[in-house]
Amino acid sequence: MGDLPQLLVSGIAAGAVYALAALGFTLLWQAAGVINFAQGEFVMLPTFAILIAIKAGASLWLAFLIACALAMLVLGVGFKRVVVDPLVRFGVIPLVIATMGLSIGLKNGTKAGYSALAFPVPSAFPSGQLAFGGVSFSYADLGTLLLAGIIVVGLQSFLNRTVTGRAMQAVAQNTDAARVLGIDVQRMVLYTFLINAVLATVAALLIAPSYLAKFDMGDSIGQKAFFAAIIGGFNQTRGALLGGVLIGVLENIVGFYISPAYKEGVALLLFLAVILFRPEGLLGKAEERKV
Amino acid sequence: MTLRPSFLDVIDVRKHYGAIKAVDGVSLSVRPGEIVGVIGPNGSGKTTLFNTILGQIKPTGGTVEFCGEDITGMSPLELARRGVGRTFQTLQVFGRLSVRDNLIAAAQESKGTMPGRLFARPDAGLRHRSDEMLGLFRLEHVASLPAGSLSYGQQKLIDIAMAFMPAPRLVLLDEPCAGVNPSLVDELLDLLLALNRTQGGSFVVIEHNMDFIMKLCPHVLCMVEGRVLAEGPPAALQANPQVLEAYLGN
Repeated sequence: MGDLPQLLVSGIAAGAVYALAALGFTLLWQAAGVINFAQGEFVMLPTFAILIAIKAGASLWLAFLIACALAMLVLGVGFKRVVVDPLVRFGVIPLVIATMGLSIGLKNGTKAGYSALAFPVPSAFPSGQLAFGGVSFSYADLGTLLLAGIIVVGLQSFLNRTVTGRAMQAVAQNTDAARVLGIDVQRMVLYTFLINAVLATVAALLIAPSYLAKFDMGDSIGQKAFFAAIIGGFNQTRGALLGGVLIGVLENIVGFYISPAYKEGVALLLFLAVILFRPEGLLGKAEERKV
Repeated sequence: MTLRPSFLDVIDVRKHYGAIKAVDGVSLSVRPGEIVGVIGPNGSGKTTLFNTILGQIKPTGGTVEFCGEDITGMSPLELARRGVGRTFQTLQVFGRLSVRDNLIAAAQESKGTMPGRLFARPDAGLRHRSDEMLGLFRLEHVASLPAGSLSYGQQKLIDIAMAFMPAPRLVLLDEPCAGVNPSLVDELLDLLLALNRTQGGSFVVIEHNMDFIMKLCPHVLCMVEGRVLAEGPPAALQANPQVLEAYLGN
């Protein structure tokens, strides 16, 4: 059991990255009624943006900032204007199909337009380990936890402690009432898309060193982020965090104590169990809906 | 005595869905500080009329003017910025926000500029105003609780308080008594009269509770099948055989 603290920390670090992508899932769903099945590709594209910027001579952090700006423009404003706005009035299903198509398009576009190979991306954190009480933790895991923690706390503070955050919550909870009260619903929805783009870029920065920049890297992270959002509760941002961390930790524990072969099945099993026994998610609340 | 000029003029407004005339040539005027009641059986077009006034439904014809400006088909956002608010038949509070945050959310968009609001103080400078409304609606003791955790009656009060939070010039109240405990109805009546008296609010009120509307509104319209069947002081309407027939049948 001496490996458990290490497994927990690296599991929480991996889970924190899933949680960032899952947070984007829940925010988009709450604010705009969009289930974005291209979320994995929303992590893949900034990874390539970081890679290309580094190849052009930028430092990793400058490349990250460039990728953030591009993601906000393309995956935030562009995605909303070109895909979501024209389809949103037709309901959830057309958007689901559109984002699935977008996922395939982005993946194959990257494969055909850039490369089908995997490229290494430098880590934002130094290599090596920090020994603490007889247990070693990698700087990469600790740095990932720290950065993801800062992003999550910052986002929660923005949503709960600012005027704009409250307006975004109001839109997510009751769009019609928010509109009548003079809240600019479209602007708040746009902010949500921009936040999702930044979350995806941070996830890209954190996950790229281990996943490598590859056209299909989004398959796994997109799937796990979706499962994390469902497991935690699609209508709760806290749920996405819990779901992501649970998947990350259980994957590590199962991979170490049982077999790495079963690691990839953990998220799916957890997802099935939640759907069967608590479909609203671990922290989610059942919602009534007129049909 | 000269009457103050009206500031809401609904002129010959129509909303047709194919052959169904939900609203068919309705006109009404509201003067500053006036309370106008709208009654009528279910399906008579009252809420559709509200929705067309507030831009939530585009009218088939007619115009809506507010303070001399044509606001026909204007979005609810633009109307809110001009000081027009509304409540709905069903509860529209933000269940996971606290009661105070609900009130602040209802008025914050009228404060400052968009970039200013992005990083403004959490209370948007509305702490004092929210205290005032919490006191008026006797909600101080639940100010920090999530609105969704309160009783239906309390949520209804929050709903109405939210509509008045930005100090609007005109509020359209859609069945404020619906689902409210009878003991709260008198309280609600006193509150609305106080808001009208102290803040000069003008209201258009849809309501089925006749006792409530007769006490609240000096001028009442009765709608039937999308048209105004009769209008005038409440006592005159109560004595009008056509109104009685519309409500009670032959």
